[in-house]
Formats: sequence, structure tokens, C-alpha cells
Amino acid sequence: MTHQAQPTALSYREALFKAMHDAMALPNTLVFGQGVNDHKGIFGTTTGLGEKFGKNRMIEVPLAEEGVTGICIGAALNGAYPINIHIRADFVLLAMNQIINLAAKYKYMFGGLFDVPMLVRLVIGRSWGQGAQHSQSLQSLFAHIPGLRVIMPASSGAIVDSYAHAVQHHRGPVISLEHRLMYDLTFERDHEPTVLGKTPFSQRRVRKGNDVTVVSTSIMSLEARRAADWLADRGVSCDVIDLHCVSHIDANVIMESVGRTGRLLVADTSWQPYGVGAEICRIVCERDPGALKAPVVTLGMAAAPCPTAKSLEDIYYPNLTTLTDSIAKLVRGKADHGIELPHERSMADVYKRFKGPF
Amino acid sequence: MTRRCEETIVRIYPDDEMKTPMHMSMGQEAVAVGVCRALGNNGDVVASYRSHATYLAQTEDHGSFFGELHGRVNGTADGKSGSMHLADIPKGMLGSTGIVAAGIPVAVGAAFANKQNSPGRIAAAFFGDGATDEGVFWESLNVSCAMGLPMMFVCEDNDLAVHTRKSHRQGFNSLVEVVKKYRCSVYEDDTNDVESIYAMTRSAIAQIIAMGTPAFLNVKTYRYLEPCGTTMDSDAPYRRAEEDAYWKGRDCVALQRARLLANGLAEKDVVAVENEINAAILASVAAAKAAAHPTPQQLYYGVFYEAP
Repeated sequence: MTHQAQPTALSYREALFKAMHDAMALPNTLVFGQGVNDHKGIFGTTTGLGEKFGKNRMIEVPLAEEGVTGICIGAALNGAYPINIHIRADFVLLAMNQIINLAAKYKYMFGGLFDVPMLVRLVIGRSWGQGAQHSQSLQSLFAHIPGLRVIMPASSGAIVDSYAHAVQHHRGPVISLEHRLMYDLTFERDHEPTVLGKTPFSQRRVRKGNDVTVVSTSIMSLEARRAADWLADRGVSCDVIDLHCVSHIDANVIMESVGRTGRLLVADTSWQPYGVGAEICRIVCERDPGALKAPVVTLGMAAAPCPTAKSLEDIYYPNLTTLTDSIAKLVRGKADHGIELPHERSMADVYKRFKGPF
Repeated sequence: MTRRCEETIVRIYPDDEMKTPMHMSMGQEAVAVGVCRALGNNGDVVASYRSHATYLAQTEDHGSFFGELHGRVNGTADGKSGSMHLADIPKGMLGSTGIVAAGIPVAVGAAFANKQNSPGRIAAAFFGDGATDEGVFWESLNVSCAMGLPMMFVCEDNDLAVHTRKSHRQGFNSLVEVVKKYRCSVYEDDTNDVESIYAMTRSAIAQIIAMGTPAFLNVKTYRYLEPCGTTMDSDAPYRRAEEDAYWKGRDCVALQRARLLANGLAEKDVVAVENEINAAILASVAAAKAAAHPTPQQLYYGVFYEAP
């Protein structure tokens, strides 16, 4: 028997397909979703798996988000590992009752009798006019709720390892927010961030540095890496931490970094009020606000629903230029920091060969 | 006009100046045009994300339509909403939403207000058969029938939720037979003929006003293009060649054109009208391209009720 070599590079999409394939290879896995068995196969992440493993386990469902989520919970109670997929994160809002009132509480509410092992895959849309109802980044809503584990994989390795861990070892509900703009990006195995903990759900270090701590989520971790690479050539050394699991943050990782750098910038994919940036600030302020040499800076989407007009969408999201500028200002302590900035209007233009329809 | 607008979209979409997902109505226009014509100026309409035909039929305004698709300030929402969210209050177009079935209860609310404030005015919800799988459709139907609201449910029945057929999604054989058990009047059409749909809707309106109960219209139709996008996907695995041929053989625009000629209109007169429509649409596209982009200040306008 020949040993099958692990590929040295996988696209985010290929990683998702591999994760779904490996999950389906286990006998108890069920996948529920609208479009899992059609020719598009959830952007190619489930294509052919219904034929290979059976459409009684790769289940095409009617539009019934709340009902299907409850069905996943019930199946999980009886020994299955359900995976429920929503091609836009926005659509899961129809299932919030089951997720928050039942899935998150089922173990606690019945004195620990039940486990609800299940994975909910949500895809964050962005760019090219996705608009107000197809582009929301809802991690804070879920991370606010005790009982939910919320992850935002920012690399192919994070997908493969975290989904395998969820399916094989984790006994509770996991909400995973995937980012549509990353689907066509290829990640090399040798350049995966370092996992800073015991499980694949742990935080990751993207780059080690001493001038400023950059805590980031999802695709903003890629932006942070690009900004850090740019700034490294110009004398600024960034410590970049990809949060990955936004619901369970290792405060020691954050405090160790801030203790070294004295400066903190948080770059999230969502709105700032009550968001990831606020949570990181809570962690620092409750432990050692004196570690900070300068006020914290946070970046996120403008505090508005997402506009479709390209001219507004370009300023709605922080881009590489604004991120680099913000880091430089923070480190130099002044607006005229004298550091050359990369020129770029829109991240979408860089990452995506993506052009509608979604 | 609706068909010509969408043919124009198909032609110019690859230029990438309209950066918004397109959920095209092509093939299904007779439903929107027949129903909206029958409602006239005395109806409120909430559409699905497949909003083009409904919006154009209700407002006849392709100027702001193309402005919105181009993300410009002469659009329905200053270019901030794109293809899925089209509205025009004076013309009774109360919006369209990107979340399947989400607009149905909003139309019920409009019907509730109309019952109190505007007797004789009817609210209509347009939705696909996929939306009838959602709980909120059944909640809305139940509430409307229980309360006796002047409400019209318009199911644009193309048999498909994205790529999935009714037979794979529904645990019953006939939606119409189920809805007949509710306290409402039920109408069916499978002609794809705009005049037949118009006449049926007039009967439904009369019934709603006379009985004070809702109506449910199930109109069979057919979507020509892919669920999202401007490409004909006749070869996709979910399509059926005979079905494709059947519906394209009774194209609603071709049917109506043939009727006009049969009724004695001269070919040149029909062509003259068509040319006029085409020229007006091209003018709308040109006006959209010439219009200003929204300013950065407009990003925050309308988030809250206070001025930003």
C-alpha cells in the first residue's frame, strides 16, 4: 500500500471539500443544506459527495432554516454528527431560535444529560454588490451566547484541522464563518500560521514582532499579514495574531503579546460596536491596561448596512492602505508617520477573481 | 418593456459596470405584468429578490431601475440597494428582499393597514414556490385568513427553488389543494398568457373586496435563465429539455405580440412601439452611466432616523 502524500498547498475551497469528504467518510455524519446535491455543490465544497456517500446522508433540504436546525439538534441527540450549511451567513438568522434557545443551551438546561455535537457552516459574502442582506459578518451575535463555539478559519489548514476536530472530538455546537473571498486563495502548508494552543480551535500567530500587536479575524488576518510584510521592510515589526476562535480567546496569548509591544490594533470583518475589538479591549482592560503605551485602534466595517454601489463599498470595508496607515500611526504615534503606504483601493480587486453571480 | 430591459442587462452585464447580483425574471414576466396591471393604482406590492419584472410592471420606471443597477444616485436608493431591493412608495412598490419569503408578512402588514385606512386597496406579495417551503409563508397565510385581510398571495410557480424541484422539497402533492382549506379564494393559471392572468386577477380583486378575505393565486411559469446571473443554463442537469421547449414555445411576450397582430395591428406599428421602448431603455442606460456616484457622506445616510 502506498502512502498518499498530503498536498503541499490547498485552496480554501479544496480544503472545505476535503473537510466535507473526510467528515462524510465517518458513518455518523449527516450534511443538511439547500443545494448540497445540485451541480454547484455549495461552491464546489460538496460536489459529488451525495453520489459517493449517499443522498440519505448528504441531504438536500427545503427552505426551512429553523426547522432544519432543530432537526440537526435532534439527530445530534441520537448519535449523528450533523453539518448544516447556509450559503450566506445572513440566512442563518432564520434559525437563531433553534441555535440560541436550544443548541447552545441543551446540555446545560438538562443538567448535562445531552451533548449536541454539530457544525453550522456559514459563508460571509463580500464585494460585487452583495448588499445589505448577503454580506453580514455575524460572529459577535453568536460569540455572545454561552454554549456556542464560534470559529472563523483564515487558511486552508485552519479549515481542515478545525473541521476534523469538530467532527471527531468536539461534543458541542460549532458555528464556522467562512469567507467567500478566500475560496479561490491557495494556502501553502509550510506557511500556515503557528497554532498557539492545544487544539485546532486555538489562536494562531501569523507573524512574530515587537512593535505592535495586531489581532485579526478571518480575511483581515490575510490583510494583516500583507500589511505586516509591507511594514517589516520599512522598520515596523508587527505581532499578528489570527483570533480564529472568537468565542474562546486565550487571554494569555493577547496579554503576552501586548506586554511585549505595548500597542494594540484589532482588525475585524464586522461592525465595531459590541464586536471583536470591544471584546479584546475588555480582555486587556480587565487584566493590565497599564501594558498599553497608546490608545487601542480598531478597524471594521462602517457602521451601516452594506451598500451595493461600488463607490461606497470601497470605503465601507477597511483596505490594505487604511490598515497599514493605522498601524503606522499607532507605532509612530503621529499621523504624519512618514512611512510609505501601499496603494490599493479595494481588497476585492486583489483577492478575487470572483465576479458575480455568487 | 420588462423583457427588453432584461435583454439589455444580458447584453451589457459583461461590461462589469453593474456590480450587483442579478436574479432575472425572464420568462416569468406575464405574472408580474398581469397582476400589477390588474391592481392598477390601487395596490401595494412586495416582491421577492427576483424583483425586476415586479418592479418594472408596478412602476414602469426603467430610468431609476438602471440607475440603481449601476450604483448611481439616480437609482431607486441612491445606488445603495442594487438589484434585489427595489422600491417606489408613490407607485405602491413597498420593496423587495434578498431573504426568501421575508417580504410576505410585510405585505400582510400593508394589507392590515389598508383595511383600516384605505378600504378597497389591496396588498400583494409576490414569491416563488420555493418560498412556500418557509414557515413564514404559512404563518402569513394563516394570519391573513384568520383576520380577513385584503391580501393577495401571488405564487410565481416555476417548480424550482434554485435548482431543486417541488417534488423533492414538498411532502404534499398540491399546494393549491392545501391552501383551499384556508378561508380564502384560490385561483390557478398555467397559460403564461398575460391577458388571462390579468382577467384572473381582476376576479380575485373583486372577490377580496366582496368577501373581505384574501386570495391566493398560483401562476405556473418558467424561468429562462440561471437562478442568479444572466446566462441561459438550458444544459444544466436540473433542466428538462421538453419542459424548456414547452415553455419557450409559449413565451409570454411572443404570445402577446401574436395576439396584437391577430387583432389587426400592423406589424410596422408593433415594431414602431418596440423601437420606441428600445430607444427609451438605451436612454435610461446612458443616463445611468452619466449619473453621479453616491458621495461618501451617503454611506451613513438612512442608517438611523437622525441626520448623520
